[in-house]
Amino acid sequence: MDNQQRENSRRRFLRMAAIAVPAAVAVAVAPNAAAEAVSSDAPKSSGLRDTEHTRKYFESARF
Amino acid sequence: MANTAEVQCPRSINDEDRARAQMYQLLGVLLSGPPTGELLHGLASLQGDDTPLGSASKKLAALAERTKPQDAEREYNNLFIGISRGELLPYASYYLTGFLNEKPLADLRSDLMARGIKASEDIKEPEDHISTLCEIMAGIIAGDFECDSGLASQKAFFDAHLAKWAALFFTDLEKAQTAIFYTPVGSLGRAFMEVEADAFAL
Repeated sequence: MDNQQRENSRRRFLRMAAIAVPAAVAVAVAPNAAAEAVSSDAPKSSGLRDTEHTRKYFESARF
Repeated sequence: MANTAEVQCPRSINDEDRARAQMYQLLGVLLSGPPTGELLHGLASLQGDDTPLGSASKKLAALAERTKPQDAEREYNNLFIGISRGELLPYASYYLTGFLNEKPLADLRSDLMARGIKASEDIKEPEDHISTLCEIMAGIIAGDFECDSGLASQKAFFDAHLAKWAALFFTDLEKAQTAIFYTPVGSLGRAFMEVEADAFAL
């Protein structure tokens, strides 16, 4: 199977799986991106993060 | 570190890939925080057929229709924040090792660095949170990042960071005791992860 055939069968499979999100939802979800492309700076390592989730977890894990 | 990647034109993507990116984005938004009234209103218009994905969409629409934002917020907090901890811990590291911030997070961070992707400053969770991984998949598919957005690149990210645990997490969400609105979110996510795994295997 060549690449074009493979691509076509993949698209057909996805269509049959009924993957579709109405435009109303697509608009509603747009402005909330969690990740972004790195600009010019090198990504800095942030190490272990102190967040609400991790704090709660560590609290619960304490003896 | 010099950024040597060439600036590329935004990738033109076909309808199926755009729908996949939107589905990842939707799951990312639903799992990153409680839904706004506007989002609930939009979700109420979701339609579906008798496929697993379609029937999960219909159930989600029906629940979005009758869920108030404050109820969804309470449910989100019970599921993911909690008094001591939420019912679920939606992190790759936790699902794969039983602990937070373990090797799966380190692996993800080096992959993201290699791909030139970093989390926004205002995102406080570790990057292996399911919502962040969904949004990164959406971004890779849509060509928002400088890294290769082709199918092989998408598959590599999916296989490395989602394939081993995301369907399991969504199954847990589906069965979570405090979930009502989030039950069909779990079904939708589980069905979508199965479709993705099957499609990548074609």
